[in-house]
Amino acid sequence: MNDFSELEKELRKLRPAQPAPVLFERVEEALKESRAGTKERRSLVRRWGGLETAHPWWSLGFGLAAAAVLILFAAVAMERRHEHQQTVAQRSPAPETRPVPLRTERSISPSGFVPAGGTNLVYNARDEGLHFADGSERPVRRVRYRTRQTWRWRNPETGASLRVSYPSEEIVLIPVSGQ
Amino acid sequence: MEPIASHENWRNCFSKVAPGLLLFARQWVQSAADAEDIVQDAFVKFWRRNHDIANRGLLYSAVRSLALDFIRRDARRARREATVLAETGPAIEPHFELEDDTQSALAAAVESLPRDQREVLVLKIWNDLTFNEIAGALGISQNTAASRYRYALTNLKKTLQPQ
Repeated sequence: MNDFSELEKELRKLRPAQPAPVLFERVEEALKESRAGTKERRSLVRRWGGLETAHPWWSLGFGLAAAAVLILFAAVAMERRHEHQQTVAQRSPAPETRPVPLRTERSISPSGFVPAGGTNLVYNARDEGLHFADGSERPVRRVRYRTRQTWRWRNPETGASLRVSYPSEEIVLIPVSGQ
Repeated sequence: MEPIASHENWRNCFSKVAPGLLLFARQWVQSAADAEDIVQDAFVKFWRRNHDIANRGLLYSAVRSLALDFIRRDARRARREATVLAETGPAIEPHFELEDDTQSALAAAVESLPRDQREVLVLKIWNDLTFNEIAGALGISQNTAASRYRYALTNLKKTLQPQ
């Protein structure tokens, strides 16, 4: 036992000053506000799909969608190249032979998904006027297109479908011929 | 003590911890109103994040951090308050509810301790924190917390000894 026990006992008898009753009301108010704020944030996230209030999640989602599209494009491109090579190989020795049906070949591809269509919706086009491209003496007209591209894939075996949609921006330079 | 933030009855919990928290906050700010602002902010943050009693040190750490921010933000006012304190003496708004002269002498002795010893004493005696929790709240080692506590008691004993 230490020799401070008496002193500690005396110290414990000292009662700290009590908080003002209004402090409880203020805390209650602040807790209510913070709860309301949280609810409002959640409802906004639900309403707007998290676009405005949860920007990091939106960015992450967009990044993942873009990555998925890239992978699918890579897979489709490889498939097409393979298909083309096979068609050429088949045409050379036997021109009368028809190429292997695309559907059959695709159905055995590892992913099992075949492209089922795509749309490119232009929702804004802005003419940004004439510009001179680097090193060029001829002017070009610059047009900026804002689009939403949607690609669909379908698995004929399972009937599953995949749809990826993302916004994109495209700048087109149109050469202007002088009269 | 019951878990602090695991149920909705914040009023019950707050009434238990508030006096000790206010006393702790007043180690840095002299005004009771400022201390109440700091305690309110710290408690609301703590409660909102659903911290458990196991992390009670976080609440004290938050109070300390907010108090230090307050001092930095309001340095001019703090200097003015220090001047007023120097002129009028430390007991503008008492830190304790005093019953007799013995308690007044004890409270004055506590207030005359160096701050690093006083904050450990306040956390240990009036907030029932363990040395481990104190170490976490103040960002010091457990041994340092224990030795500051011993120094505080030694100094108090010296101060209170009859001349």
